[in-house]
Amino acid sequence: MANLNETIHQPVRLRIMAVLVSMEPTNEVDFTYLRDLLEVTDGNLGAHLRKLEEAGYITVNKIFVERKPRTYFTATPAGRKVFNEHVAALESILKKK
Amino acid sequence: MNISPTEAEEALTAIQGLMERTRHSIASSGAHVSLIITGIVWLIGFICNQFLSGEILSYIWIGLSILGGTTATILGIRNSKHIRNPSASATAKRISLIWLLLVIYCIAAIAVAYPIDGKQLTMFIVLFVLIGWMAMGLLLSFSSFWPGLLIIVMALVGYFFLSNYFYLWMGILVGGGMIVFGLYIRYRW
Repeated sequence: MANLNETIHQPVRLRIMAVLVSMEPTNEVDFTYLRDLLEVTDGNLGAHLRKLEEAGYITVNKIFVERKPRTYFTATPAGRKVFNEHVAALESILKKK
Repeated sequence: MNISPTEAEEALTAIQGLMERTRHSIASSGAHVSLIITGIVWLIGFICNQFLSGEILSYIWIGLSILGGTTATILGIRNSKHIRNPSASATAKRISLIWLLLVIYCIAAIAVAYPIDGKQLTMFIVLFVLIGWMAMGLLLSFSSFWPGLLIIVMALVGYFFLSNYFYLWMGILVGGGMIVFGLYIRYRW
């Protein structure tokens, strides 16, 4: 049976992963898009993104667009795997209800 | 780590809701902007066509087209910066080429059919824009395909059955319809 993942289970991190996993693996989203979609503050989002990056679940791509720095995020294959396992674990808990 | 079934249910509901919102947001990205802007341009332009005549109409259409085109381009570029696909530049070039071919086709078709009246010219341009837009819908996301098809049907109904009120029909129902669809995609999709 799949296990719950403590890093991902935190509500903001779970929502970040839900957004990134629902996109094509080749797509990247920027910080503003995530912040507006999740309705969180810059500081809060930044802290949770850092945790996910440290765990190896997301990759951070910093580039310059029209001479301005922009940060893009995407889920790694490992991140997609643990997110799917986490969802499977949640579903199995629900089935036992 | 243990959680209750209620917590699991809440977490799954949050995940499903957010995944759905993300997919819709990506699928409709840009579609609502071009719909609303084209709708506003057509609404104002065609209502002017119905009630005004003479050289001033050309100036109104040129002004509206420049304003609408510039606004749509700026907003489109701004939207596209939020979601990036590093491997998509080849696709973007092909899409630009498809639009270029469509523009050439439209100009050639009008030149071959010339002389044509104002209503025929309007239908040529409207059909060209909407068919190109639907083709983009088929290529990129299905969200803009069905509204495009419905607007084509409405435009043809106006052309064949409501000749006296053609421009008013195009303005209020086709232009207004595009604005309503755009707002629907933006807020309810």
